[in-house]
Amino acid sequence: MIDDYLAPRLEDNTLNTISVTQLVREINDMLSVDFSQVSVVGEVSSFKINQGKWVFFDLKDENTKVGCFMPVFKLHTPLEDGMQAQISGRPNLTKWGSFSLTVENIIPVGSGSIKRAFELLKAKLEKEGLFDPAKKRPLPEDISTIGVISSTQAAGYADFIKIVNERWGGLKLVVAHTGVQGAGAAEQIIRALNYMNEHNSADVIAIIRGGGSADDLAVFNDEALVRAIASSKIPVITGIGHEIDTSLADLAADIVASTPSNAAQMLTRDRREYIEHIKRNMEIVYQNCIANQVRDIIHNINDELAVCMDNVLDRIETQIESTKSLIKYIETFNPDNVLKKGYAMLRGTIDIGSEIEITTKDKIINAEIKALKERK
Amino acid sequence: MTTKSDTKNLTARMKELDKKMEWFGSDDFSLDEVAGKYKEAATLAKEIEHDLNELQNELELIHEDFTKE
Repeated sequence: MIDDYLAPRLEDNTLNTISVTQLVREINDMLSVDFSQVSVVGEVSSFKINQGKWVFFDLKDENTKVGCFMPVFKLHTPLEDGMQAQISGRPNLTKWGSFSLTVENIIPVGSGSIKRAFELLKAKLEKEGLFDPAKKRPLPEDISTIGVISSTQAAGYADFIKIVNERWGGLKLVVAHTGVQGAGAAEQIIRALNYMNEHNSADVIAIIRGGGSADDLAVFNDEALVRAIASSKIPVITGIGHEIDTSLADLAADIVASTPSNAAQMLTRDRREYIEHIKRNMEIVYQNCIANQVRDIIHNINDELAVCMDNVLDRIETQIESTKSLIKYIETFNPDNVLKKGYAMLRGTIDIGSEIEITTKDKIINAEIKALKERK
Repeated sequence: MTTKSDTKNLTARMKELDKKMEWFGSDDFSLDEVAGKYKEAATLAKEIEHDLNELQNELELIHEDFTKE
């Protein structure tokens, strides 16, 4: 192999001689076997973008620097000289004889660099209107399917599912398992977002990730991911990190939950609260509509009864008065009253010689008629 | 296993209950009908409560491998 070509065997006339191109190819073959993918941390310097297509920069530490190259479409975070960055890529020897790293992925590391990249990208995307509050959509009124993008091994995902299950039933949760930190995670989340949008898999998509360091959460400041969230046809809710963490993904999402648990709460009603609400309403309806109505009816009946009673009493009184008058009138026909005035009452046949009975106020007299004459 | 129709059914019945409850405060309210309407609403509320306590969520993992480009 390559050792055969490189070993200094000046005394050995059997050493194969190869072309420069062949040498570079052999070295690259060796590198692809022993260093197929490397991950390197260093400070970015001499950063530049050529023709809007190619990114060149050096990655350096105190003693050494190495040239880096990547296509611009793979650059998902703003970079500038002085930032600390972690790259993953392949080392190779170029045909010009220089050693470089072909970068597959690059992320800023260290709080200063992450913050700087965040601010640069935020300003750029804000200018493009990706965070415009007017573009935010509310949660759908009737949610029956929730698309969940998360790592199914993550604690944040477990919290989210647990709370959704506790709060409400009958929902369908369509879960896309992706990485949620480190190299490649942003691309995986983008693919899951695209998949759900293409298949119209859900009423709403929840991007879920529990708390972590700034480095862990840096994936949610990836430019391509932020753009994918902003352009999702299906409304997106983010539940990423803790309450104090705000990512660019949060700013692009339609709804932001402070944590995975909070996202679960925002997406679901609490079945116990709802049942209590129903019971309370039934009680209110009973009290206000039924019991009050019955009370009103009883009150009305009482009023009507009182009026009837008054009428009856009036009539009875009138009757009593009439009866009293009648009694008085009848009394005037009582013979005793006439006798009391000094008159007398005769009974018997009025003929001369007949016996008659004379009744006075206090006597009954038997008498004989001695004479009769007509009264003129 | 919960189906989409279960969920739709539950949602539809929740809306139906809301409508029934609104009737008690509406101009359509009639004393002759109140007992029947209240009984209907109470029965529906009981059914919804039962379903809410019984219904489980369905979890479906997408088989697509998003880690592959």
